[in-house]
Amino acid sequence: MSKKYDIDNLVERFNQGDKFALARLISLVENEPEKAPEVFKHFHNKHHNSYIIGLTGSPGVGKSTITNAITKRLLKEGKKVGIISVDPSSPFSGGAFLGDRVRMTEISLDPNVFIRSLGSRGYRGGLSRAVLDVSLLYEAYGMDVIIIETVGVGQSEFEIYNLAYTIIVLMVPGYGDQIQMEKAGILEIGDIYVVNKKDLGGDDVAAQVDLMLDDACYETGWRPPVLMTNAITAEGIDELIEYINDHEEHLKLSESINEKKKERFAYKLKELISFKIETILKTIITEDEVERITKEIIAKGKFKIYDIVFNIFNEINFNI
Amino acid sequence: MGASISDLGGGINMSERKIRVLMSKPGIDGHWRGGIVVSRALRDAGMEIIFGGFQNIAQIVESAIHEDVDVIGLSIHSGAHLAYTKQVIDLLKEKGVFEDFLILVGGVVPAQDFPALKEMGVANVYGPGSMTKDIVEFIQSKIEK
Repeated sequence: MSKKYDIDNLVERFNQGDKFALARLISLVENEPEKAPEVFKHFHNKHHNSYIIGLTGSPGVGKSTITNAITKRLLKEGKKVGIISVDPSSPFSGGAFLGDRVRMTEISLDPNVFIRSLGSRGYRGGLSRAVLDVSLLYEAYGMDVIIIETVGVGQSEFEIYNLAYTIIVLMVPGYGDQIQMEKAGILEIGDIYVVNKKDLGGDDVAAQVDLMLDDACYETGWRPPVLMTNAITAEGIDELIEYINDHEEHLKLSESINEKKKERFAYKLKELISFKIETILKTIITEDEVERITKEIIAKGKFKIYDIVFNIFNEINFNI
Repeated sequence: MGASISDLGGGINMSERKIRVLMSKPGIDGHWRGGIVVSRALRDAGMEIIFGGFQNIAQIVESAIHEDVDVIGLSIHSGAHLAYTKQVIDLLKEKGVFEDFLILVGGVVPAQDFPALKEMGVANVYGPGSMTKDIVEFIQSKIEK
């Protein structure tokens, strides 16, 4: 058994709103990205009109449950919502247990929702390499809102910052003290901070985030709000939606939305360029070459390693 | 921004196709262990499992299509395996996508019901005592990567 992917036929069905075709095209750009240009060339006349929300936070803070709650509200407003949920792939087997969809069963049959689960497949920063391409397919499909839910992250996975316009950082009661709040990384990227599972407490966490946010300067004029929610009972979700709308309005009025869109393009551009360079380097520095260099390093002593690497790069001709 | 969507898409060859499996529990019998254990074995064999949990028939079919899975695994311990499986297969046929999926049934299924399930279009049935290794190998033998 093997699935067939006829791009022209799929694009035609995609343009008629066929979700089956959308699903197949997502698989195509995820599995065979070299064919993506063939897909995207059909969308020259489509534009970037979706509003993109990024949800991030540690494992188990409620990202999928909040996504479900937010989406329910957006559907009531008549919006079409595309959801991308990323879960980690195993570095050992390459397999993944994608368990986000199970939190969104109640919205899954709505005709205006499309949910896709992705394994991170070794990609960095709490995302999958396919995330941006999938979000582009959602845009071309005509989604009003796209929600990207990251892998459960730690302190330093914040690639989502480059791919979404409003970033929601989720925390839970017992998150950490004032010292944790001052650390760089994940707690710098939020446009909205949410302490979820408020039924378990968490007023102290919210207060400490608030204090932390007071210590920073906000050149764009947006001081991130902090709120508390219970995603299961939908407590605080109305407020969260209001903040998302406020932030979108802020981005549009201050024209920073264009900066955000530029960042998204720049991210992809750098990604494509570094991939090309990596490919070129792999043809020059082959496994045999690595073997030879390693032997040389061992023979000459490890303190020569910088000189050896310097010489390698001196000899590479990048005029390709 | 004036740029169109085609300017940004694709161009990176770093991914590899994975076998994707939807693991679902039609109905509401609370026996999750089997589905979880099998999911874990498939995950450890390098597959991507979309864990559906409790889903009704329409939700199972919809998730299988949206997630573009290769395999639909139905974990049933309620005794209603014949009815649920038939409903899933009927809906897949109605949508014209039955041929796209390998359908497997597992759980408390007595051996005398195996032929009826296979007659409906189920590729294989795994009752009590089945080995996860056999499930992995069966899927790998049926799905071309």
